[in-house]
Amino acid sequence: MAAFFKSRLFFVSLAIVVIAATLPFYVSGYVLGLLTVAYYFGVFAMSWDLLFGFAGEVNFGPTFLIGVGAYTAGILNNQYGWSVYLCVALGALAAVIAGLVLALPALRVRGPYFGLTTLVAVLILQNFVVVFADLTGGEIGLTIPDVITIDPNVNYWIALGFMVISAAILYGLSQSPIGLVLQASGQDPVQAGALGFNIVKHKLAAFIVSAFFSGLSGALLVFYFGTASVGTVIDIAVGVNVIVAAVLGGRRTVLGAALGAIFLIVAGEFLRPTGELATFIVSAVALLVVLFFPGGFLGAALSREGRS
Amino acid sequence: MAKTSRSPRFWSVRKLLGAAALGLLATASSQASAADPIKIGVIAEAQAIAGASIPQAAQMAADEINAKGGVDGRKIEIISYDNHSSSADSVRAFQRAVNDDKVNVVIASYISEVVLALEPWASRLKTPFITPGAASNEISKSVHSDYEKNKYTFHGYLTSAALALSVCDAAKELLVEQKHMKSAVIMSEDAAWTKPLDVGYEECLPKIGLKVLDHIRFSPDTTDFTPIFNKIEGSKPDVIITGISHVGVQPTVQWKNQQVPIPMLGIASQATNSTFGKDTNDAADGVLYQGVSGPDVAVTPKSVPFAEGFKKKYGNYPSYAGYTSYDEVYYIADAVKRGGSTDADKLVAALEKTDWEGTIGRVQFYGKEDPFTHSIKYGKGLVTGLILQWQDGKQVSVWPKEIAKGSLKFPSFIKVTAN
Amino acid sequence: MLAFQILIDGFAISALYALGATGFTLIFGVSGVLNLSHGAIMVLAAVAAWAAASVLHLDTYAGALIGVAVGMVAAFATYFAVVQPIQRSTRIANEEKEIFVLTGTLLWGIMIQELIAYFFTNNAKTVLPIVGGVVNILGVRTPKNEIFTAVMCCLAIGLLWLLVNRTRTGKAVLAASMNPRGVTLLGLELTRIYVVVWAIYGILAGIAGVLLGMFLGVSSYSVGPLTASAFSIVVLGGLGSVSGSLIAAFVVGYLETLTAYLVSPAYRTIPALLLLVAVMYIRPQGLLGRR
Repeated sequence: MAAFFKSRLFFVSLAIVVIAATLPFYVSGYVLGLLTVAYYFGVFAMSWDLLFGFAGEVNFGPTFLIGVGAYTAGILNNQYGWSVYLCVALGALAAVIAGLVLALPALRVRGPYFGLTTLVAVLILQNFVVVFADLTGGEIGLTIPDVITIDPNVNYWIALGFMVISAAILYGLSQSPIGLVLQASGQDPVQAGALGFNIVKHKLAAFIVSAFFSGLSGALLVFYFGTASVGTVIDIAVGVNVIVAAVLGGRRTVLGAALGAIFLIVAGEFLRPTGELATFIVSAVALLVVLFFPGGFLGAALSREGRS
Repeated sequence: MAKTSRSPRFWSVRKLLGAAALGLLATASSQASAADPIKIGVIAEAQAIAGASIPQAAQMAADEINAKGGVDGRKIEIISYDNHSSSADSVRAFQRAVNDDKVNVVIASYISEVVLALEPWASRLKTPFITPGAASNEISKSVHSDYEKNKYTFHGYLTSAALALSVCDAAKELLVEQKHMKSAVIMSEDAAWTKPLDVGYEECLPKIGLKVLDHIRFSPDTTDFTPIFNKIEGSKPDVIITGISHVGVQPTVQWKNQQVPIPMLGIASQATNSTFGKDTNDAADGVLYQGVSGPDVAVTPKSVPFAEGFKKKYGNYPSYAGYTSYDEVYYIADAVKRGGSTDADKLVAALEKTDWEGTIGRVQFYGKEDPFTHSIKYGKGLVTGLILQWQDGKQVSVWPKEIAKGSLKFPSFIKVTAN
Repeated sequence: MLAFQILIDGFAISALYALGATGFTLIFGVSGVLNLSHGAIMVLAAVAAWAAASVLHLDTYAGALIGVAVGMVAAFATYFAVVQPIQRSTRIANEEKEIFVLTGTLLWGIMIQELIAYFFTNNAKTVLPIVGGVVNILGVRTPKNEIFTAVMCCLAIGLLWLLVNRTRTGKAVLAASMNPRGVTLLGLELTRIYVVVWAIYGILAGIAGVLLGMFLGVSSYSVGPLTASAFSIVVLGGLGSVSGSLIAAFVVGYLETLTAYLVSPAYRTIPALLLLVAVMYIRPQGLLGRR
């Protein structure tokens, strides 16, 4: 049963990816721009799901990792004019270090206490950006001299490719023994530890992987937008969107998180004619999903699949 | 709210046709026929008081032009986008406006941060772009430093440097000559536009005879201004020179509640809006602020009819960015007419030659040689701005004296030095 | 002079923080709910008080009462529309309910915030103070409204203390926070107690919101920072410990005021954040928390 289902999910995903890859041939540049952002956002949500959904950490700080990656890459490019690819790589590396810093309290405190620590991490980063305005551009935002490319098709393919690779690695990891240990430790850390698993090691690994992809995605997003600002990559509101995307799509599914992110961004755009009410409607829909389909989109689909 | 509501057109049928047909259509559509509308994308902060007037005023100008037959038979179409005051949303809206909605020119935002994020996109997508309300010097400085790349950006509002000059010119007459004031403290929020503003203040205030005793910059997130006012009071200045836009209501109300005995004069964007009095429970009384225009102020013969027409249509007077946005639609239309085309480069060339009497004065742009290329010219006979004061819940112009409707009047807790 | 200034200003802001945090920690203590729509409820109460005075032209007292009433209604709505359905849901595993309540109330708060921005713009609003003017305390010119704020906060917290320690309902609430199962065994209905607690919470949040509107002013942007500051204070004090929250509120309030006066208003919140991180490392259960 499980094997059948897995293969089926695999083929469905493959078909979706193939269709997605051909989109540039028949949709407008604007839709591509929208999906480009949605794909990067999808990686944020998947990375968060690995940490939170599986490791069970109440993590309000996805933008801490994203922001460190994005700003490191942006500042290096802005200050030293290093090549985009080098900056992106160093951004991801900086995010990994930030992930280790964030992991330290996670090994000591749990639940709401860890949640608050991650929240505070974001607030401190935000203050840091504002205080060191000469380096970071402060509230103004950082102008990035280089972008990857201005061709919407190429940007789209880069984002899609990046998301697919990230999804494959993150999903693979979640289905591997590492993912199972993480899940066990999230549900009952004492018992999981008693069974002889080294929870500390697994959690550290989860933090590093999550931070790597968050930071990489943040850095790529910066070079897509050509600007980095607190409101784009650090603000709590951005983190809230990442969390909502993952919960909407279905926690502990990894792939669902990406679906949720795409849904959020595309829905926000479809609702543009409703003007200022768009965010309200999206939040209301998300709340209804949380209340009535707590498993999220993919969770609901999978459980129906499982029953039939 | 008159929004052009268009359902999102996600799947363009045209693009499903073969590559050959697509190429054909592309060439056909790039040659503007007489019936093609001139499309103006308006990206603004619909929930913010200063930003909400931008699309409304643009729509009003477009309706007026269209009622008179448009530009050489071409109608003006306004397509508006809400950017939620965010740079990222603005970049997306800009891409959508250009790539999908095929606008010819974009009017966007009163926030310098947003405008600076959009400026490279105007260059990348080669689309003329005008801001109705951002003030940072950097906007026009970038045009000067790399003209060929950045020439698509126009600055339809005064630069921070010009704003500082405007405030100093007014302070000289109102405060130094009339009230014999000698010292000031600068109080400004930490943002892109206030950096050059503060530099301008520091330079011009001593020249007009106001010694700068202290200079306080605070985070735009500040909610408690008590420590700031106390610190200012400690240095005993005659006046507080302001540079605030993201904040406004809170410092004003706390200034009154704490009865800070020092008058405030300067840039206070939120005070330009007619609802400011109500939002502050009339704590605004006595606040002096710089504006490009105001209700009941005939800066030009066009100012009052516009303000009244706007109020009739939308229920409140426009913010400062409403005046500039209204003018921008008119001189864009004028530039299309003169240049005879909506082609980006031709439009830029025509816009550079703009000489338009709008609601804020006579609009001309600085040229390539000036450090503030493509910013509107400041000076007598052009745009000077004016100083208004909130008096008994109303905005009253007090400077320059040619158009002033009243004289300075402060609430009782203010001690105006007259030594 | 400066010392008195800091003492007086710090007290008012700390008292306001304390009032805001008390209700928040009470809810957690009794029902284990971290209500992330807290800031939105406070702002809603303040905006309602503003609208009653400015739009409906009611007097200040009526406006303030309407604000508090709206705070209570919003708290009930939060409980019945979001929290209770999640707690009763059979589809959500018990160990996951906490995170669903967090996500649900977070979304609910965003909805309230967006509605406020839609109807009243995101510009800051201030409630006309019930008492105007200033008095001179030891050479410090203090707005009477600031004193009023501090007195009202202390009064509300004092009444809460009396309610919890001196009335039957209060004792039931206290008992529920210690041992929910025991309370049901005694024949008290837990749901009833929850409703009482949410009502108390709504009134406290409403008062705090209206006072904040009078003292500093609020906008829809304040929602996030208000929730975050209540959350920080409550965790710093120890989750569920009301006295811990009170102490933490004063620590944070004075630390912020000291920084704003002695260092720079721009760095106001940073030392409090660093303190919080330090406490998390040294004493993860907070100042007075139980593990």
